[in-house]
Amino acid sequence: MSRILLATSSVLVLAFLCLPALIVIPMSFSSASSLEFPPPGFSLRWYESFLGDPRWLLALQNSVVVALLSSTIALLVGSVAAYGLVRGTFRGRALIEGVFIAPLVVPSVIIAVALYIFFAQIGLLGTMTGLVIGHTVLGVPYVILVMSVAIGSFDHRIEQVALSLGASTSMMFRRVLLPNLLPSVFAAWIFALIASFDEVIVTHFIAGRHDTVPKRMFNELVLQVNPTITAIATLLIALSVVAIGIIVLLLRRGGVRMQSLT
Amino acid sequence: MATIRRFPAEFGYVLPLLLLMLAVFILPIALMLARSVTQPEWTIEHYQNLIETSVYLRVLGRTLRIAVITTIVCAVLGYPLAYWMRGLSPQRQVVATALVVLPFWISILVRTYAWIVVLGNAGVVNRILLDLGLVGAPVAFLYNELGVIIGTTNVLLPFLVLPLFAAMVRIDDRLLHAAESLGASRRTVFRRVFFPLSLPALAAGSILVFILTFGFFITPAILGGGRVPMVANALDLLINQFARWETAAALSTVLLVVTLACFAVSRWVGARGATS
Repeated sequence: MSRILLATSSVLVLAFLCLPALIVIPMSFSSASSLEFPPPGFSLRWYESFLGDPRWLLALQNSVVVALLSSTIALLVGSVAAYGLVRGTFRGRALIEGVFIAPLVVPSVIIAVALYIFFAQIGLLGTMTGLVIGHTVLGVPYVILVMSVAIGSFDHRIEQVALSLGASTSMMFRRVLLPNLLPSVFAAWIFALIASFDEVIVTHFIAGRHDTVPKRMFNELVLQVNPTITAIATLLIALSVVAIGIIVLLLRRGGVRMQSLT
Repeated sequence: MATIRRFPAEFGYVLPLLLLMLAVFILPIALMLARSVTQPEWTIEHYQNLIETSVYLRVLGRTLRIAVITTIVCAVLGYPLAYWMRGLSPQRQVVATALVVLPFWISILVRTYAWIVVLGNAGVVNRILLDLGLVGAPVAFLYNELGVIIGTTNVLLPFLVLPLFAAMVRIDDRLLHAAESLGASRRTVFRRVFFPLSLPALAAGSILVFILTFGFFITPAILGGGRVPMVANALDLLINQFARWETAAALSTVLLVVTLACFAVSRWVGARGATS
């Protein structure tokens, strides 16, 4: 009896967790401009109103540019740093790692306030440069977490063999380490990319008049209810599903289990 | 690990990112903390201001209340779910885990928006209630604390369930069998053996939910409709509307201290759980 109760309540909680996704996708194909659910008819009008609106398209362009730049910077500097952290024996590594992971722990709104005041004083407030810098900071923890696991599980002796056979350090990186870690490198990059593409709070504070897709969505949601958002939401869900699929495949090929990341 | 050669170069690998993070993460936060006590000169007036102005105390009190309620609701909903998932077959565990992780990957804006569709005055739930004649007028689920708590719980529940489930899976079945074979009832095994073993993970997960709720911004802004400002929303107003940087810096410092203190406690609890 109690087992049935437990199973029922658990299934209900799972349903509660997944309800938003189940609601939003059908809503995006609704023909009504009200919040009727289930939708009275099928239409693609909300997709048209997204893809036909130059302001949304500009926001999309900004989102893509900022996400690509910030995730790439985070990946490059972060992977190299992760290598130093994993292979290094110098003191203070735990503290340094703490600094790199901190943006994940410190509430985004604090980072937002701090960057707002800082950027206002050095003239980066409301600039794309400032936005890329902010997003890079937020992407770094993901790169460090993924790449530390990947580098830690790669046999250090293989690197030493390459070096002792006469490879230079940079050759060892390019010809030995990178090809072996490539799946994890891509996974880390996608994590940082999604983190940036999804970011609302820091962007809301420091982007000034520049719009990104989430920032514009947030502003629309605060002001009014506009079903265009369901179309964007569905596109974002599709993007996420593709991204998770790629990450899972890459990490499996890279020999990293998802569990070790959580 | 001790046989690894010492490369001075290895610190050089870390250096670029370290400099970057010091310049655009640590320094801005340090300057913000400094600003809260040094503008225009050494002073604690901005903190006095927080205490003396009833608005901030009310916002802090509301944030604390919502965080505590959300944490309790997450624990009450999440613990049975994790316990149930532990008993499933491995294939079903994968499916259940995927369903728990799924919302993680959907923009929080989207998830919050869905609650307007579900719980709004013309939403699904209210129409069912009206059609069934259970209520005479739409129930106000949104734009109050209830709406914020529902939305926040929905977003944060996976943060409790995932680590809790992972910890429960690690609890050795043989311990439970041993207790049973020694004559303990199912209920006693759970109460005296299983629950104590899962408690550190439950505590750590609850603290994580508490920390995350305390700094929550998007859900209270949208589902609270401006009527349920939490700390983060007050910061938004202070910075983007009133340009009161010093007060914002002081309030951020309070938020940061609460967060880091809770984080330290959760690390301590986690470490105790790992050694016991």
